[in-house]
Amino acid sequence: MVLKNKLAMGIAATMLVLPLAACGSNNETTNNQPANNAETKTNEGANNAANTGGETADAGTKLTGDFEIQYFVGGYGDAWWKKVIADFQAANPELNIKALGGPKINEQNKPRWIAGTPPDFVYIDGPELNDRQLVEDGQLEDLTEWIQTATNVDGDKIIDILAQAPQQYDSKIYNIPLVLNSWGIFWDKALFAEKGWTEPTDYQSFLDVSEKIKAAGITPFIHTGKYPYYINGAFLFPAIVSANNNDYTVLQDMAANKVEAYESPAVMTALNKIVELRDKGFIDKGSVQINHTDSQMLFLQHKDAFIANGLWLPNEMSKDVPQGFQFGFIPSVGQDNGGKIVANTSTATVAIAKNAKNKDAAKAFLQFIFSKAQASQWAELSGAPSNIKGDISASNAPSHVKDAAKYLTDANTVVIPTITYNADVDKAMQDASAALAAGTIEPADWVKRVTDAVKKAAK
Amino acid sequence: MARATGHPPNLHERKVNVMNSGSAKLQRTVFIASFIVPTLLFFSVFTIYPTIKALYFSFFDWSGMSQTKDFIGFDNYIEMFKDPIIWRAIGNDYFLVLGKIIGIMALATFFAVALTRFNFKLAGFFRSIFFIPNVISVVVIGVLWNFIYNPQIGFLNSFLSLFTKDQVTITWLGFADHTIWMLLPPAIWAGIGFYMLLLIAAIQNIPESYYEAASLEGSGQWRQFWTITLPLIWEQMKVSILNIMMTTLNGSFVIVWIMTEGGPDNSTQVMGTYLYQMAFRQYHFGFASAIGVLILVLSLLTTVVLQRLMRQETVELG
Repeated sequence: MVLKNKLAMGIAATMLVLPLAACGSNNETTNNQPANNAETKTNEGANNAANTGGETADAGTKLTGDFEIQYFVGGYGDAWWKKVIADFQAANPELNIKALGGPKINEQNKPRWIAGTPPDFVYIDGPELNDRQLVEDGQLEDLTEWIQTATNVDGDKIIDILAQAPQQYDSKIYNIPLVLNSWGIFWDKALFAEKGWTEPTDYQSFLDVSEKIKAAGITPFIHTGKYPYYINGAFLFPAIVSANNNDYTVLQDMAANKVEAYESPAVMTALNKIVELRDKGFIDKGSVQINHTDSQMLFLQHKDAFIANGLWLPNEMSKDVPQGFQFGFIPSVGQDNGGKIVANTSTATVAIAKNAKNKDAAKAFLQFIFSKAQASQWAELSGAPSNIKGDISASNAPSHVKDAAKYLTDANTVVIPTITYNADVDKAMQDASAALAAGTIEPADWVKRVTDAVKKAAK
Repeated sequence: MARATGHPPNLHERKVNVMNSGSAKLQRTVFIASFIVPTLLFFSVFTIYPTIKALYFSFFDWSGMSQTKDFIGFDNYIEMFKDPIIWRAIGNDYFLVLGKIIGIMALATFFAVALTRFNFKLAGFFRSIFFIPNVISVVVIGVLWNFIYNPQIGFLNSFLSLFTKDQVTITWLGFADHTIWMLLPPAIWAGIGFYMLLLIAAIQNIPESYYEAASLEGSGQWRQFWTITLPLIWEQMKVSILNIMMTTLNGSFVIVWIMTEGGPDNSTQVMGTYLYQMAFRQYHFGFASAIGVLILVLSLLTTVVLQRLMRQETVELG
């Protein structure tokens, strides 16, 4: 009998140890495996002796149970996600983290959101996932109060170290920007130096040099007409803010569907600048039909001197950049001489599901990722600046990311925080801007069309 | 057997007969059911159920992501008919239907006749060549034609530039209106092969003696085409026309989405792309479902109307 018992205990002990041993190796390999579409279990067991490296984010309470993270894998890749999840796992060995990542994860997890059993934590990026829509659908946890006092793992108050503030929906906060990227205008410094053209610093210098470029037989400006949010993000929105005395609340009012914001003189001034570029023949006529890859290729081939794009451009086209090509970048060209530069940010945010089962873990994860250590790791692994203020010049981030971070943290730059417009209004603005740049409508028509869309959406 | 003996069948024999026919009947039923039931099941699950579900969703205001849906009756339909873009999409769809029917049928018939009636050596080769676009995915065709139409580095502008002094820079997919015309050539080019094969098969079924007799009577190729070929392949042409109509109304989404995404400024929007735009980009799933129902209704109506229009006595081979 005693022998039997011992045998049974021995078997039980072996069964307990074996999966743990497997977990240990699993945990390591996970970081190097592509997580595409797969549900990656970082750690199945509990109390792994090897995983006692860090401290629990929310000091004092031990995080337990299942914790699901949904992250879209797009241009920024998934290297950072794998790393940060592994780090968080190491700090919280009793937590059973399930990483749900992949380029199609938004579509795949949709039924779960509809059924009310979403993952706990979500990274809002990629198609079919829109932060404003998630808020309107009541899918996100209200973080308004929590964010006021929340500190990160280093003890810093999160709200204080964010480079761009979270968007507010009726004065409430639901999602926090993780990335700090910027729209802007690019050119080839080498080409400009060779031709003796002056790099633009404001609207007038942009017009002057465009005249010279046109005279030299090159089309000055190209935008991605098939996706007009490029010209809106890189030219129109910063120009509206410049015309509004650098006050970006006009854009926030636009996002809040206030008709009068769209009818403000600042919007008209900015639209007239597009018209001026168009009427002077500076805008490539081919723009209207081409997608981002085509427009970027034409720019790299010097068919066009300026392109409206975002800071991800050098990374995105890294394989096609000709020898000697040197990216020049300015976040905005719509400002008057001596005016401040306006950087319209492009971001992706993170949030907690309202129906999350493990909100403690989700909040602890927020505290974990919004730290200086993770910020510089983000810049290094994703190739984009993180939304945490701080000097990343010492990190291993690519040089254009460091340059961008410098621009965006400069005191003389007006940084427009993340703004998501109503999807219908956004589409109306895009259609109207494409039509305006192509010359089929005038600024008054732009305003009429968009305000009609606003009135309809506000119903 | 009972009859053969000249006696009326007794009760026992009758019973056996009934039992035999009963089990044969059962066997027959099981045999037929084994074919029909799985098909019906799949059809129900993958066609009937989604259709009913779409109809159901079309009565709700639903973003496609939220847990709650608001019942709004016919509001989506009312709004749909007030939306100018949907009318443009319907117009574009029927433009493509008409353009493709004329273009594909004319060219497919021409090629089919050319490859069967005029015995030349390379007929087999050309048959394969014309069929190639059918093997290529529509997505690839879309990308390919995007390159042809590219204003700066496209084939079409480069070709035209051979005849002009200045470089031609027409934005083929960027006209304010009528850009939908530009989607017709790729759509036609992609469709010819299949219908050509269908018509070739039909023409090959026509006995050679008809043409011989006609030749002896002195009628030329043109006359033979109008009086022999065309009437005898009319049935296949009818099927082809209906098929082009249905596949266009349901499937023009792919080529439009790849080439223009309905732009610029909604000028090439078709019902399928507008449905997608509304459901997954603008988060109006209920409204998009209403568009789906509209596509179904219009497809059914157009089929009935076309069948009526084409009702002509079919000439059958004796």
